Amino acid sequence: MGEIKDDTADQAADLRRVVMVNEDIKKVIRISSEVNLVALNAMLVAKRSGEKSRGFAVVSSELRVFSRKLEVAMTGLGALIFGLVRDAAAMQKQSRERRHWLNTVAHGGPGADLVAPMLARKEETMGSTGQEIRSDWHKLQIQLGRVLQMCETGGALSRSAKIEAVYGGDMSATLKQVANQIEETVNEIFSTLKLLRTQLAE
Amino acid sequence: MKKLEFIYENGPHKWAAISRDPEKPNYLIDTNEYLVINGNEAILTDPGGMEIFSAVFSAISAEFDPYRISRLFASHQDPDIISALALWLDFNPDLKCYLSWLWATFVPHFGGKEDTFIPIPDEGMSIPLGNLTLEAVPAHYLHSSGNFNLYDAKAKILFSGDVGAAMLPPGEDSLFVENFDRHIRHAQGFHRRWMGSNSAKLNWCERVSRLDIDMLCPQHGAIYRGEDVKRFIDWFSELEVGSGIKD
Repeated sequence: MGEIKDDTADQAADLRRVVMVNEDIKKVIRISSEVNLVALNAMLVAKRSGEKSRGFAVVSSELRVFSRKLEVAMTGLGALIFGLVRDAAAMQKQSRERRHWLNTVAHGGPGADLVAPMLARKEETMGSTGQEIRSDWHKLQIQLGRVLQMCETGGALSRSAKIEAVYGGDMSATLKQVANQIEETVNEIFSTLKLLRTQLAE
Repeated sequence: MKKLEFIYENGPHKWAAISRDPEKPNYLIDTNEYLVINGNEAILTDPGGMEIFSAVFSAISAEFDPYRISRLFASHQDPDIISALALWLDFNPDLKCYLSWLWATFVPHFGGKEDTFIPIPDEGMSIPLGNLTLEAVPAHYLHSSGNFNLYDAKAKILFSGDVGAAMLPPGEDSLFVENFDRHIRHAQGFHRRWMGSNSAKLNWCERVSRLDIDMLCPQHGAIYRGEDVKRFIDWFSELEVGSGIKD
């Protein structure tokens, strides 16, 4: 049967860690939904500014495409973390059940021999749930990497928006304001995602 | 998996229902959990059984930080109400659980220590939630001998535990009662068999009809809204209970 150890506390700690990551991902999803609004606002301002802000209009249109892609990527990230929370909670339940069998084994006597096969089966189930969890974490890290790459594109777009805003003539101040808004939002997503990546690597 | 839906929102004060799990095996009774939120704090009513812990926990986590749940409210002692207690305590050992004093030494068989429980006296008690005060309303013998509902006077919502419960067939399982007459057929057998005392029932109907209630939220089945709340109380007051075995 190998080494017998109650790991209920470890599983609870794992669940708490997953919940922390989930809260950060929810935060990123909330901020990224703002990119959509910012992009729409940029397009409207560019339209109002007319010919002088053609460059800005191109950038804001690209930003709109970026925001749609980001939305899809965030939905994927949300689905992955939802699955991870579910599996980590299921693992905690299995660990609790395993603990009951362990207690019976610890009491010794004929009962201990009787429950040994149950304990082995439980450990097998936990092994496969553990595998799913490891796979979930791996997928989450990959998806996070993809989103970070996307955000680099978003960062480049926000820098271009700032440059194009300078050529906006009398609308330049408004365009700059919008460009700053874009930069702030993208930076916020970027820094939260980087923090998340560090957390996941720990 | 289960889904969390907000049924009442007024700034930081919210009620959410966690319900309807299409993946739940048929041998488990379907349950509704309710999350009462006020700012940074929340109380979870009848958190459910161990078998559905993962579904409830993940549905809550998708919308709300489960760390902010500081207390549980158990209407009574049944396994579909509170057998997940040990798992919730693994996650947050500081959680407290409101429960009838009658079950204070029974429910620890599901988990928890002496300081986990806040025993509710028979006459009920006030439960603070930030700047709100909820009321534990006695509903003894409906169906458990130590049984409580939870009333939120500001939201005008009564969490009624098993009172109002219905066993809904597939296709008629919307979260809210849409057609009272059709719905109540699925509640009748349950109330006749599970509710044991006509006098307790009349006493409950008399007290609850004096409360201002917009939504009556049972632990199984669908939520009664508006006029359907009064319809339900009238229907229940006339129903002969403790008689289901004759069927």
